[in-house]
Amino acid sequence: MKTPIVLLAGFSSLLFSFALNGPVRAAEDKPVVIAGVSRTEALRLGERMYREGILPSGGPMRAVVKGDIPVTGTAFTCLSCHLRSGLGSVEGGIVTPPTNGSYLYKPLRQLHKGIEISSAPVLRPAYTDASLADALRGGIDPSGRRLNEVMPRYLLQDNDMAILIFYLKSLSSQFSPGVSDTTLRFATVITDDVDPASRDAMIIPLEKFITYKNNQAAYYETRAGVRSARMAESMLLSPETAYKRLSLARWLLKGPPDTWRGQLEEYYRREPVFALLGGMAKNGWQPIHRFSEDNRIPCILPITDLPVISDTDWHTLYFSKGLYQEGEGAARYLNSIGAMVKGGPVLQLVRASREGRALSAGFQETWRGLGHQAPVTVTLRSGETATMDSLLKVLSGEKPSVVLLWDGPETLASLEAWASSGQRPEMVFVSSSYVGKGIWTLPDEARGFTYLTYPFRLPRDEERYTGAVESFMGMNKVQGDALIILKKVYSAVQVLSQALMDMKGNYYRDNLLDVIGTSMGAGGMDVAQDRTYPLYERFSLGPGQRYASKGCYIVQLTKGPGPELVKKSDWVIH
Amino acid sequence: MTRRTVSSLAILLLAAAFVFPGKGVCAAAGEKYKRTIENYVIPDVTLVNQDGVKVRLSRLMRSKEVIMVDFIYTTCTTICPVLSAGFANFQRRMGPGPGDVRLVSISIDPDNDTPKKMKEYLKRYDAKPGWDFLTGSREDIEKVTRALDAYTPNKMSHLPLALLHSPADSRWVRIYGLIGASDLVAEYERALGR
Repeated sequence: MKTPIVLLAGFSSLLFSFALNGPVRAAEDKPVVIAGVSRTEALRLGERMYREGILPSGGPMRAVVKGDIPVTGTAFTCLSCHLRSGLGSVEGGIVTPPTNGSYLYKPLRQLHKGIEISSAPVLRPAYTDASLADALRGGIDPSGRRLNEVMPRYLLQDNDMAILIFYLKSLSSQFSPGVSDTTLRFATVITDDVDPASRDAMIIPLEKFITYKNNQAAYYETRAGVRSARMAESMLLSPETAYKRLSLARWLLKGPPDTWRGQLEEYYRREPVFALLGGMAKNGWQPIHRFSEDNRIPCILPITDLPVISDTDWHTLYFSKGLYQEGEGAARYLNSIGAMVKGGPVLQLVRASREGRALSAGFQETWRGLGHQAPVTVTLRSGETATMDSLLKVLSGEKPSVVLLWDGPETLASLEAWASSGQRPEMVFVSSSYVGKGIWTLPDEARGFTYLTYPFRLPRDEERYTGAVESFMGMNKVQGDALIILKKVYSAVQVLSQALMDMKGNYYRDNLLDVIGTSMGAGGMDVAQDRTYPLYERFSLGPGQRYASKGCYIVQLTKGPGPELVKKSDWVIH
Repeated sequence: MTRRTVSSLAILLLAAAFVFPGKGVCAAAGEKYKRTIENYVIPDVTLVNQDGVKVRLSRLMRSKEVIMVDFIYTTCTTICPVLSAGFANFQRRMGPGPGDVRLVSISIDPDNDTPKKMKEYLKRYDAKPGWDFLTGSREDIEKVTRALDAYTPNKMSHLPLALLHSPADSRWVRIYGLIGASDLVAEYERALGR
């Protein structure tokens, strides 16, 4: 399996890692009162201090960085640098060490790939509550060393300090559910609205990957595999990763979406998993997203055109914002060409469907956010087709300059009618994803005024990725929607493979999400990173980012048979 | 797992890597930051600010005010919060009113940093008028970062930089390393020739 990028990332992480021997269990199971509050309340308040910089009193935490820069906690939280798991980060040459109790409350002695260097001196004695409070306030560790000045010196009262320290002791102290000495358990969620061909296109390669990984781990344990095993160990920051098995359960959801939650809870009760991987739903991911969020279970790259759009939710990592992002792309494009759309009203014709509503929401929210008036919006009910007469009626005779036709395959009939009537808007935007493959047969007469939102790399540029993906996944001659699904599965397993290495044996769910955010953060300006993943022109994250593809082309079709797509915009439109 | 002993030299090397901040924080022992004088040519690109307003960068940089530039992104850990806390604190020290300085943060994650996100970010730091956050096409951002010697392909390894430009001097002051509040004010005063 791959690749130089993986190897380099692993090696560079090695230089800066503070790998732990394993989890340390926090003292519990007895009534505890911390600074006058219960254990549960102390953890809640401590988590809020750590993540949001808010004191138990509700006021902001205050601190000083770089010697003389006063900061408030809300701008500069513990989480900013130590990340949600508390296991730290490396950025811009600054190493932020772990801050969880199991790291702080033992002597700091160097580890190499998870193995203690027995001859290494103790660099820092174990913290105590008192010395940790001193370090948080004054920036001096128990060995007398001054911490880097980017570490804030906090102004904290004793009670607040006690609550924060109590939280740090609990942070990443026990491995998350779904982890055993030998196995990491995953599940993939599939809803029964997915057609069997699409379901197989997702599940077969995903299970193939799991089998491959487990066969590899088994091989390392054979006599013939010893040499390969040593090589793998030397590559990995946590050698046990090479031997870890993965399991993947199929969680099939049946019936109406409002029953899915109960089914998910029951699956989880029977077999707790570390995370959800891939998965597929046709009619939206919202109930599954909510399940992940409420139970703090990561969900890595489900295949859906209808993700939940949120700036704050943490646990589900999506390929993109789906159809919403196409609507967003249309709004950004129209805004960027400003002058052309000042001639008349902007009209949205929206099919009364989840897809239509997602496209419409993406357009409308973005358009308004860019300072424009809300578009005139008309809903197309079942069986209803948009005609020019109906448009003119809606607009009291005023001809629209721009129409956004957020409709499915029925779109083609409207476009054909408008093309032949001669009376038509200047620009019509449609979603290539929602219209489907019929878009390639759009009559020549309609191509001049029809603009498509296209959320992928253009077909000609994408060709070279297909062979590599098929080869990696051990499949061939995959076509159409199945090929798109295969490429998404490929990306999901690449992301997971890298994350398993970057986790360094620290099997905490938040660490999984932290390391994916940071390791995929390389994509900011990196052309090489762009070429790592299929389908999307650029595919990257950063700490806390939840939608890996941020782009969508606006394209038009060339005239004549076998049309090509012509870019009218950048991948990300500003 | 079998315990293994590694050589003393390796221990020392590892210890250095683990304990001390890497390059980029301070240029040399004893220096808080590295200060150099540079000649930069600002590319003719149009970026977008936190209000969605297009800004021609070369015109902005020809301002009659002192310009301070840094390179950040909205989901950054570690460096950007320090840089932005420094800018916010600088504004507070300068007091109310537009003053004679303009702060400019340029996104190095333009695909993610939309005007909406940049506006929220500035709000988090209680930014006052006179501090703009700019994004743009990745090609334009690359032109700008290369022209100002601030380009890094990987945003996770970006540079702790602040650049100062005074209308009285065509050259730029380049500050490499995270700078404290008093030092930043001193550099500003120096740029003004006070």
